[in-house]
Amino acid sequence: MSRFELASTIVDTTGQRDRLRHPASGGYCAFEGWVRNSNEGREVDGLSYEAYAELAVAEGERIVAEAIERYGVTDARCVHRTGDLKIGDMAVWVGASAPHRDEAFRACRYIIDEIKHRLPIWKKEHYVTGESDWVACTHVYREHEHEGHQHHHHAPAVPFVPDYSRQTRLREVGEAGQAKLASSRVLVIGAGGLGCPVISYLAGAGIGTLGIVDGDRLDASNLHRQIMYDTQDIGEFKAELASRRVAALNPAVQVQVWTQPLDAGNAVDVFRQFDLVIECTDDMRSRYLSSDAAVISGTPLILASIYQYEGQLQFVAAKPGSPCLRCLWPQEPAPESVGSCVLSGVLGPVPGVLGAMQATEALKYLLGLPQPNAGALSLVNLIDLSIQHLPIDAAGGCAMHGGCVEVARRALARSMDEQEIDLAFDRLDDAIAAGYRLVDVREADELVSDPMPVAGAMHVPSAQVGARAGEFVDGRYLLVCASGRRSGHAARLLRDEGVQNVYSLAGGLHALRVTG
Amino acid sequence: MTVVNLQYYAQLREQAGTSAEQVDTMAGSLRELYEELRIARGFSLAADALKVAVNAQFSGWERPLRDGDTIVFIPPVAGG
Repeated sequence: MSRFELASTIVDTTGQRDRLRHPASGGYCAFEGWVRNSNEGREVDGLSYEAYAELAVAEGERIVAEAIERYGVTDARCVHRTGDLKIGDMAVWVGASAPHRDEAFRACRYIIDEIKHRLPIWKKEHYVTGESDWVACTHVYREHEHEGHQHHHHAPAVPFVPDYSRQTRLREVGEAGQAKLASSRVLVIGAGGLGCPVISYLAGAGIGTLGIVDGDRLDASNLHRQIMYDTQDIGEFKAELASRRVAALNPAVQVQVWTQPLDAGNAVDVFRQFDLVIECTDDMRSRYLSSDAAVISGTPLILASIYQYEGQLQFVAAKPGSPCLRCLWPQEPAPESVGSCVLSGVLGPVPGVLGAMQATEALKYLLGLPQPNAGALSLVNLIDLSIQHLPIDAAGGCAMHGGCVEVARRALARSMDEQEIDLAFDRLDDAIAAGYRLVDVREADELVSDPMPVAGAMHVPSAQVGARAGEFVDGRYLLVCASGRRSGHAARLLRDEGVQNVYSLAGGLHALRVTG
Repeated sequence: MTVVNLQYYAQLREQAGTSAEQVDTMAGSLRELYEELRIARGFSLAADALKVAVNAQFSGWERPLRDGDTIVFIPPVAGG
């Protein structure tokens, strides 16, 4: 269905508006451009638009699609008039609907700015004097080009030169240490509660290249602990926001951005491009993937995770004889058993402390400083302010199952086999139409507070899926949870039980709301 | 009876309602002790999902208990 139209008659604004209605949208915003009675000092009594129709429609479609992608709005549309118009007639109409108003306003602004800048439509003004003239549309101010730069009132006269004097003053750093940092490449996976301090401190320290991976968009509930971001950033990809933050903090740092999580197919190749990886996600699956990719690629990894008021830190050296994550916990635990910030809650500074510790370990590693507790699991308790280091005995871990590299290779191969488990749908109706039976694996209280958008789903809480494997007979089942994590884990569990006809909704209900 | 000091982390701390406690136990091994506590404290995690450390060193579950041992049960956590 086309979202951009050229119209030779009056625009049906009611019909356009109704086509943007969607249950996931909490608001709608429209812009109308009208013909006014003067332009650059000359009185106008009407104008004509001529368009290169095929190109205008294709380019218009592209602009609307860009706005939807860029701001994560539910839907957007645009109509541009052609032909003769009088004073007060509507020349262009833009509308966007979204879960939250900010994205809708920004998407509208983006579309009208880009339409005026890029569309092959020419305007002929008819003046009161009887003359007429073709008017070029130049010097369009494009608001989105200035996003993230709102605080800069003056462009600096000379390029900014970073001043690292406070850290080079340290005997262990010096100019030689600074040169090591400048030639280092560090990948940060997750730009959330842990990632914010990690990225900020590493950017400030002058790391040569920072890679930033995060598939999520900023939510209002992130702001109490994710201190790189502002209210106006809500709805945007965190990886892109973080990249802009790094550019503002230290333009000398090169940034590479991934707005999709890494997977079993690309993680090892991506890790090989970096000297060090820092795992900052809130996702157990991502942690295990990172541990596997680290030992296979030989790239050191700094893991941290948090729970309410405490955290765990582990440095994986990725060298023979040193322990990995699987040496401690061989199997990935079920998501419902490990807690999350969403379900268990978290005090904002807790990931801040653990992230700052990860950043410190990273700089120590890159500078070649001693890391006396690098082979331990460090338990950080912010209730009694204690840190306990438990040395990990590598001989009692993966070594008993062929070694970390062999164990990691088997785990990655299994993940590759399971990649087709995750299915993406824009709407659950599409899944039903494709023949899938929906299974809601969330807890009963979540069903009440956030009902499924469609009726008729089976309800099997994720912890019971294994015991009720016998219920998944005949047909195909799509397991659904809030984020896709519990449903993915449950689907893999069922596959292990020999139930092959089960799949998981990629990204869960949250993803439907963003793209829907 | 053996007297041991227990420390709980994460989900176990939450379910026990305390970070630390001292208990008298008849349990012969760490595994038996955890099974006792699982019933008494209502822990949802099975022993195999946890790591256990005694006197600041990771330990196997079959280790016998000694008076004065400081025992830490550690679940994996995922938040970030």
